[in-house]
Amino acid sequence: MNLIVNGEERAVASPPLTALLHVLRDELGVTGPKAGCQQGGCGTCTVLVDGEPRRSCLLPLAAVDGAQITTVEGLGDLDDLSTVQAAFHARYAAQCGFCTSGMMLAAHALIEHNGGVGAELSREQVQAALGGHVCRCTGYVKIVDAVIAASRGDVEPSVGIAPIPGEPQVETPGAPA
Amino acid sequence: MTTLSSAVDLLVPTSVAEAVEAFGDGAGVTVLGGGTILTPEISQGRLAPGRTLLLTRAGMAGVSGDGTLTIGAMTPVAALADGTPEPLASAARNVGDPEIRAQATLGGNLCAPAGGLEAPRGDLAAPLVALAARVRSAGAGGERTEAVEDFLAAPEGRLVLAVEVDPPRAGAWVAQRRRHTHAYTLLGVAAAETADGVRIAAAHAGARAARLVSVEAALAGGAAPAEAAAAALDDVEPHDDALASAWYRARILPVLVARAIDQLRGA
Amino acid sequence: MKAVGARLPRYDGLNHVTGKSVYVDDVRVPNMLWAKALRSPHHSARIVSVDTSRAEAMPGVHAVVTHQDVPHNVYGHLEALGVPADEPLLAEHEVRYKGQPIAAVAAESEDAALAAVETIDVVYEEREPFLDIRKALDPGQPQVTPEGNVFRYYGDQVPRQIRKGDVDRAFDEADVIVQGVYRPAAMEQAPMETQVALVVPESTGRLVVYTVTQAMYFSLGVLAAHLKLPMNAFKLVGGTVGGGFGGKVDTAADTISALLAIKSKRPVKWRWTREEEMLCSSTRAAWHMEIADAVTNDGWLLGRRTMTLHDAGGYTRFSSYGATKHTFHLTGAYTIPNLAFNSYVVWTNRVPSTAMRGFGVTSVSFAVEMHMNRIAQTLGMDPWELRLKNANRVGDTAPTRVVYSDPSTVTTLLEAASTAGVELAGDYRTMTSARREGALLPEHLVAQQGDTGRSNGGSR
Repeated sequence: MNLIVNGEERAVASPPLTALLHVLRDELGVTGPKAGCQQGGCGTCTVLVDGEPRRSCLLPLAAVDGAQITTVEGLGDLDDLSTVQAAFHARYAAQCGFCTSGMMLAAHALIEHNGGVGAELSREQVQAALGGHVCRCTGYVKIVDAVIAASRGDVEPSVGIAPIPGEPQVETPGAPA
Repeated sequence: MTTLSSAVDLLVPTSVAEAVEAFGDGAGVTVLGGGTILTPEISQGRLAPGRTLLLTRAGMAGVSGDGTLTIGAMTPVAALADGTPEPLASAARNVGDPEIRAQATLGGNLCAPAGGLEAPRGDLAAPLVALAARVRSAGAGGERTEAVEDFLAAPEGRLVLAVEVDPPRAGAWVAQRRRHTHAYTLLGVAAAETADGVRIAAAHAGARAARLVSVEAALAGGAAPAEAAAAALDDVEPHDDALASAWYRARILPVLVARAIDQLRGA
Repeated sequence: MKAVGARLPRYDGLNHVTGKSVYVDDVRVPNMLWAKALRSPHHSARIVSVDTSRAEAMPGVHAVVTHQDVPHNVYGHLEALGVPADEPLLAEHEVRYKGQPIAAVAAESEDAALAAVETIDVVYEEREPFLDIRKALDPGQPQVTPEGNVFRYYGDQVPRQIRKGDVDRAFDEADVIVQGVYRPAAMEQAPMETQVALVVPESTGRLVVYTVTQAMYFSLGVLAAHLKLPMNAFKLVGGTVGGGFGGKVDTAADTISALLAIKSKRPVKWRWTREEEMLCSSTRAAWHMEIADAVTNDGWLLGRRTMTLHDAGGYTRFSSYGATKHTFHLTGAYTIPNLAFNSYVVWTNRVPSTAMRGFGVTSVSFAVEMHMNRIAQTLGMDPWELRLKNANRVGDTAPTRVVYSDPSTVTTLLEAASTAGVELAGDYRTMTSARREGALLPEHLVAQQGDTGRSNGGSR
């Protein structure tokens, strides 16, 4: 069987009923999607399958043979963050980071399905789409803020912290790599 | 690394006819629809399928028809949330979350293992009972179409192909669950005004979806909703599970039934 | 001090959003084996025999460990503080909670490890479990430990106590006694990442432990103690944790994986399933708290009696410490001069409890605040005014006689009221934390006042 993972065609040897999550993590070494519960209940395993957010722990390999799989590694990189990634970083939407990959992929798909960056999403829309993603650290508010900001395109395109209007600008140490 | 026995004999039919033939009489066959229910069982080593029928390419998805709807067994639950009649639409809307709804299927939900301490899945059965839906299935003895209650009473050895639904005059779904996206329905009531009168069914009051014939009879006899609802406990025996006790289910069932009737009449 | 007040990026923020943060389960090394544990299906049982021979003979199995493989099996987290060691790393004579590990297997795959675990034969003699902390002091209950069901501080003190002032007199002089019972339930920390451990033996004999611990040096000590190795026999790699909240201070997964790594001479990874995390990992304790307050009609708290039962589960771990913290805080943010607190740490046949955010004190916050509302309701008094009157002020003393030099209760209450849009009556609106005097210093609060200069250097 084969998968197109973040644009790259990969042949896979895992047995056909192996969950996509394990194919990605164990066979292909793509560790962005996480094994939070392995029951579809938490969202840490979410990846995009042909652009659609899906629980990779619930998908047997055979069901996605030949599909385009996008993981967090395919969203953007350190020197070229996607809007969603920049927004999550700038707005402290990640604490321990374990839910972050799944949240961002679901958010990315939501924004794309609503016309892409520039379409402003409502809190209700974000909560409905990401409702199945659990975070135990942040309390969700900053995550929703980040998704809405990303949907507006309201982030610095480069690495760093988005200035919050009204707050004093203090020179900050350079962001460590 | 979770490795699976390569004794998995995987069949991926590309048409309904191929699927029916591959299924045969169902003996020793594991059917995979969306995979949302079985994949965790397989991953965690609780289920080791041998002959496995994966239906993702069998062309069994889709809602068609003018008037009577024919819903393919592989239709994603998400598609039912928008474009099928109540109470099916509302029940579908509450299954899992958007990602799970997009992958889960009508057939999988209908054939979900029933009752016990396991997660109470299979919300869609009660709405289908209320709608007097019919299940078309294949298996030993060939294809047949039967009332959904009859199918649910003996689902072993049957491959669900499609479900037929006549649009009702009105439909209502009332469910008790916690306020969380992934909360399972601990008790649900589906009601529909069909051509043959009002039909009411309970989800998760006991092992399988049950038609509340005593409530229907009371309503037909002119009883007020609350009075008719009280008869619900004549038709079902609520059970204990991890989500709620039998006592609690018994207490709130008449309340949910009364609300469903009110909703139906108000609709 | 450029950083104070500045908005700084999270040092790990970029790694988190690019998927580059390396959690323990993301670490893969060659020749890795996978671990699974045999866990007790019973709440309480004597172990008659354990036979691992079939598991050891299974293809793909490289090591099976039981208590016999543990150099120092029974250890206590607070041994260094004088709390007796009581918990085996792997069960030996008995099991005290459902899910307690008895043996562990390292095999070529998780499936092979699971299959091997299933072949381990254990003969149990089931015993009636003790599960209701309310029966802690009742005679004739099943005994969880050889010492009974209630922990003794300092060897002979049951319970943890605080005595201050004259609580009998306070109750005699009270206008009203207000009582309440509060029972916050146990809570699972449920971090998004479950317990995972990876131990890689090096050729020098050193063990590299990839750990999810919240407390590296603590876990290092536990590893060294159980394995009877010097601390420099380990290299702990950690700090990237998918949530802990107190649930990853007990990382027995590290130690058991290390045992398997030593025995198999291969790297061993053990990752807990979500079910294991929910059922077998330590939780915040359940509490049963009874509070009785001696109160005047105009809302002064003269005295408080409490009786707390803390559900420690099958083994002590940090419970004695948690209950101590709990007891010290039982006046909450308020000044009460006459106190009699009794807190019992009760062993039950449950999963041992542990820390979770505000260890021991969240139960107090909940109970005390609910109780203040109850008092306000009983007296027909405004709940804000009740709190502001009794709020800790400079010079007031804690249950332990520590003098408050900078309490924040009044400031916090006023800010909360303002945020909630609550209009406070004149005098209340302008209250401060300044040392009590005048109407805010009734007779019964004089004796408890202290001198901030001595203990805390600097009064306001």
